[in-house]
Amino acid sequence: MLDAFEVLTTSGVVLWSRSYAPVSPSIVNNFIADTFIEEKTGSIAPSDSQSAATNPAYRSDQHTLKWTFVKELGLIFVVVYRSLLHLSWVDKLVDNIKTIFVELYGEQLTKPHTTLVECHSFGEYFDQQLQELDKSSTVGSINPIDDQGSSRPSAAGLTYRGRTINGGAAAAQDTTSADSTPVPTPNASRPSTPGVVVAKAGPVAKMSRRARKAHNSGSAPASSGDEALSSNRQKKSGKATKKGRKWNAEGFADEEDDDVQLDYSRPSLTSDSEAEAVGRSSALDAVDSSTWGSTSKGKFILKDLGDEVHDILASAQAQKAQKSARSETKTGLLGSGVNAISGLFRNVVGGKTLTKEDLDKAMKGMEEHLLRKNVAREAAVRLCEGVEKELIGVKTGNFESINAKIQSAMESSLTKMLTPTSSLDLLREIDSITSPPATSLRKARPYVISIVGVNGVGKSTNLSKICFFLLQNKYKVLIAAGDTFRSGAVEQLAVHVRNLKELTAREGGRVELYQKGYGKDAAAVAKDAVNHAAQEGYDVVLIDTAGRRHNDQRLMSSLEKFAKFAQPDKILMVGEALVGTDSVAQARNFNAAFGSDRALDGFIISKCDTVGDMVGTLVSLVHATNVPVVFVGVGQHYSDLRNFSVKWAVEKLLSGN
Amino acid sequence: MTPSLPVIVIGIILILGAPILLHLLLSSSSTYTTPPSVLLLGPDNAGKTALLTLFERGSQPAATHTSQVAHSIELNASTDSVTRSSFRNHDDATGTHTKFFLVDTPGHGKLRNVAMGRLARTEKVKAVVFMVDAAALGEHDILAPTAAYLYDVLLFLQKKATSKGKDKASIPVLIAANKMDLFTALPATMVKSHLEVELSRIRASRSKGLLDSGVGMDDVGSEEQDGWLGEYGSEKFTFQQMGEFDINVEVLPGSVLTEEPGADKWWWWIAQRI
Repeated sequence: MLDAFEVLTTSGVVLWSRSYAPVSPSIVNNFIADTFIEEKTGSIAPSDSQSAATNPAYRSDQHTLKWTFVKELGLIFVVVYRSLLHLSWVDKLVDNIKTIFVELYGEQLTKPHTTLVECHSFGEYFDQQLQELDKSSTVGSINPIDDQGSSRPSAAGLTYRGRTINGGAAAAQDTTSADSTPVPTPNASRPSTPGVVVAKAGPVAKMSRRARKAHNSGSAPASSGDEALSSNRQKKSGKATKKGRKWNAEGFADEEDDDVQLDYSRPSLTSDSEAEAVGRSSALDAVDSSTWGSTSKGKFILKDLGDEVHDILASAQAQKAQKSARSETKTGLLGSGVNAISGLFRNVVGGKTLTKEDLDKAMKGMEEHLLRKNVAREAAVRLCEGVEKELIGVKTGNFESINAKIQSAMESSLTKMLTPTSSLDLLREIDSITSPPATSLRKARPYVISIVGVNGVGKSTNLSKICFFLLQNKYKVLIAAGDTFRSGAVEQLAVHVRNLKELTAREGGRVELYQKGYGKDAAAVAKDAVNHAAQEGYDVVLIDTAGRRHNDQRLMSSLEKFAKFAQPDKILMVGEALVGTDSVAQARNFNAAFGSDRALDGFIISKCDTVGDMVGTLVSLVHATNVPVVFVGVGQHYSDLRNFSVKWAVEKLLSGN
Repeated sequence: MTPSLPVIVIGIILILGAPILLHLLLSSSSTYTTPPSVLLLGPDNAGKTALLTLFERGSQPAATHTSQVAHSIELNASTDSVTRSSFRNHDDATGTHTKFFLVDTPGHGKLRNVAMGRLARTEKVKAVVFMVDAAALGEHDILAPTAAYLYDVLLFLQKKATSKGKDKASIPVLIAANKMDLFTALPATMVKSHLEVELSRIRASRSKGLLDSGVGMDDVGSEEQDGWLGEYGSEKFTFQQMGEFDINVEVLPGSVLTEEPGADKWWWWIAQRI
């Protein structure tokens, strides 16, 4: 069964939700962070027209989330259920609920400067849809433990700027959903105390009929007062929202309310049990029960609600069909001429709603621009697709051309991609490991950084640059010669260490080389070096590794063992700014090489001074792995290492040729 | 038909002057006054959106999830009405109310530039409310990014306060220590001292850190790159040092979800700044 269904906005407010089992809010939070913000799932920016079936389901450890998204309103519809269950109808449910919700409340959502959306009565529609689609499930299992609209009730009659936001409204919702919806669920026999959530549905469901009767008659007086209110309210909201409903018994319902209501429990009970016996009621049923005289208003409402929902869905379908038909058949000569002229005019003045055709040419230009900046083709195509989907249906601003719009959208999309999720202050991280706060129970230990990469990208050079930076900050650094393969690699590091010693003698840092010669297992050397550093009281261990070709399985497989042995706090991969399309494969393979529970922590982009504006490689690297860029190498000297600045990169990428 | 000189002169003046006159007339008649804004900043999961909905609904906050876009709402505050110290003033008719926008920003690390951009662009920012999760601030994993974000915000405000020109403004900051109802919550004084210690640490490590890429050799040591927060050269950072730039930083406890201690203190702080 479903665990929860939520309707929320991109600004983070839950407009309507219903939960059947306690679901930790962190599940939905993680889903939002992964899918929409970090775009980890690999899907490009979610587009509007997609239904829940085409959106990839998000899986947390026990739950599966199906979702759909309305771009222009910023609405997300999420359904949460247990991964064990295979609910084939969930996609349809999400899509239908989306259509209904947008139809009913879409107007309210476009209002600026408010988060209030009155959708208390949406529960009925939801129940109806759930009933219709979920025929296979057992009736007793649908017991909502919590059902809330956008504003939960507190004191009765509190108004906010002329709108009733609680009290009466909530009572109305409660009574209508409890009494007048003859869904054959225990839900219908729920006591209608305004605003109080029924504690446990289980016992209520299992209550004997007598107990239920007592329950209902007990609550009848309480609900009687609200009933008139509720019908009033329904009429009120009916104006705006319930188009197409046939109120065949409107006056009738109004009159009857007060006197019938007093022993409302009885007829509703009979119809309730009747409904339980027959199953889902049909139109025939409704007629039958009215001839019996034990009319409950609920019957009509169910019929109307179902009709209304079907109307909404059908009209949405029709609209879609119409739209596609319209796009195929062009209007007459005059019409198209006027359209063309106004289109040209809007191109200049702005205020044009962008379509795929408008964007196509400009997007091609942007794609080529990115390719010229040395962004790998794969990354460029996906970036452009993301931006295109984001822009379709968007209106351009005053005097804003399409190109300017694309430019700004690409800028924000690149910034979002390159910005790291967490802060990358290396010194602070080292401090927290080497001298942990007294309150935490960790022991001080050296901070381990290892550097990997393809042959000849500048691993040792960048390692010594980082070392120089650390020495200036008065750390004690041990460099471990993990390249036990290439001849001269250890000597090369020894030269670096000698230089660094001379350079920083006055600064107060200390640096030593740990080496075991050639031919040894690199992982074992690294492990020994870390142990040695812990004994001797070093602050940081920098481990150099042998360069390896990223598509050589034999060489790459030793990295997993290396990560397990040395337990590095940070694994940095050095990537050249010079490399082109291959960067994507390099990043992917290295990112996957450390086993399932370890990945790269950052990139160092070397040789940035040799490419000028064409810094596209870093986009390809980050795009492929979602791993942030930490440092940028900009020259030949020890001091030519820079923190990566997102603004700088985006400016370079978008600058003209 | 030879027009005299005065006619030509008057004609030219009329033709040239009419558009200018029209413009002046129109621009003076339309009073586009944007109401002041208050920005809600802070790391994710601190309770920004919940506070926003609490203020708007007046009764209880709505359930919320991670925000992706900034969102503003319209509120009324007053300093002389009966219910001035409470945000539940929706049907209060006494006193004068000032309309203002409360702007919620996303707190997720990747979207921080959205929030900072909002801070830079929004007109008439009267105050900044920086929300922190007092219950989680005891852990280093939460404290470090929170302080880093606060550091960026304060540095931005300091630059704004010291800048010469039109956009010079000193904006007060409220550090709203949320979730005081939880057992693990630190008291406000502890929140303050924790943040101060962490900010001093960040300041020290930033001053020793590497330059940003894109900083050319000639920019080194220039005024713009000088990002020292608070009193220059001081050993420890305290929020009082921001007073040097007319930036008033206050830490107030509260909680969004419960009545007690509630959010009234924050509301009163905002109301006074509007």
